[in-house]
Amino acid sequence: MDKKTEKSFLLDFEKNQNIVHKVCRIYTTNQDAHKDLFQEITIQLWKNYEKFRGDSKFSTWMYRVALNTAISLYRKSTRTIKTQDISDVAFKIKSNDYDDTEERQLKALYKAIHLLNDIDKALIFLYLESKPYKEISETLGISEVNARVKMNRAKEKLKNTLNP
Amino acid sequence: MSTMDLDQYKKAWDNQPESVQKLSALDIYKMSQSKSSSIVKWIFIIGILEFAFWLSINYIVTKTGGFEPYEQLNLMGFLNYTTYLHYAVILLFLLLFYRNYSAISTIDNTKTLMKKILKARKTVKWYVYYNIISVVVLSLIFNILIINTPDGFALLTGVENTNLTGGKMIAALIITQVFIVGIMVLILWLIYYLLYGILLKKLNKNFKELSKLEEDNK
Repeated sequence: MDKKTEKSFLLDFEKNQNIVHKVCRIYTTNQDAHKDLFQEITIQLWKNYEKFRGDSKFSTWMYRVALNTAISLYRKSTRTIKTQDISDVAFKIKSNDYDDTEERQLKALYKAIHLLNDIDKALIFLYLESKPYKEISETLGISEVNARVKMNRAKEKLKNTLNP
Repeated sequence: MSTMDLDQYKKAWDNQPESVQKLSALDIYKMSQSKSSSIVKWIFIIGILEFAFWLSINYIVTKTGGFEPYEQLNLMGFLNYTTYLHYAVILLFLLLFYRNYSAISTIDNTKTLMKKILKARKTVKWYVYYNIISVVVLSLIFNILIINTPDGFALLTGVENTNLTGGKMIAALIITQVFIVGIMVLILWLIYYLLYGILLKKLNKNFKELSKLEEDNK
């Protein structure tokens, strides 16, 4: 990778890093694992950046590589303990008037997501990130119809956990 | 519970603050230079080790005179041909393995990526099957020839006057070889079901999960 490509990679990554953080938060439940997965995703992004060459948006490509790494390449199993507390997931409170209800909802949401299987996690994540079904099906390599059916099932599972 | 409620959670998701672990470009650069510990890398390492393992077994057998009995049975010509063939097949496997391995790309969609990883592993699996089968076939040919050669057993063991004759000799020969092949298969089974089992447990599970609905719809 030449210096110019390197620089644009780092800039693009720095700007979009929250995507990777969110993926790590979904697929891991503690700081060490989060860092570990983040590092592996970074390595994969770096390795493939030259092949990326802008035929899609950087962020779109980032979603794909990050999820692929979490689902298929990352070695450590992310078996979650039901009582797992995500208190070690750190959130930065933007301002004083930050809605406490939303924070509680967010924590409950992460907790519920942690109980899903790896594929359902990816589906729910893409739904939460407001990705269209076309992109979801292209990212996962399944048909759009299939993606819709799977998504409905995943949402159902999530709802049941959030409101038993 | 209605979808309305899930929408509420989605709103909380959308409003979630940025991570406190925000990394600088320098941190990202440092991370990108560290060593990968992905499944793909492990498959590559294990694959190369397996090629090395079988090649060294071949080498050791040749160097320690494991082929002497073949020489005495005038089988060296036959053995040379099979050795050339064997190396050609190994080369073919290495090429296939390299091709499958380098085809793996995180840019692919999830399902294609998984398929490619499993395909690269399968090459190594077939390579091991090939080695086991060739050992069995060669020893089978060897046995038939010894049994059909007068004093074949004496030539093989260097023992001139043995108490074992006829059926007993054949039985001893077969039992020994079944024992050796059995141990070999056991070791390989351990490698396969433990090593690859642990390594690919998650991937296999996820692949099944992702493909599930398509099978349901068939």
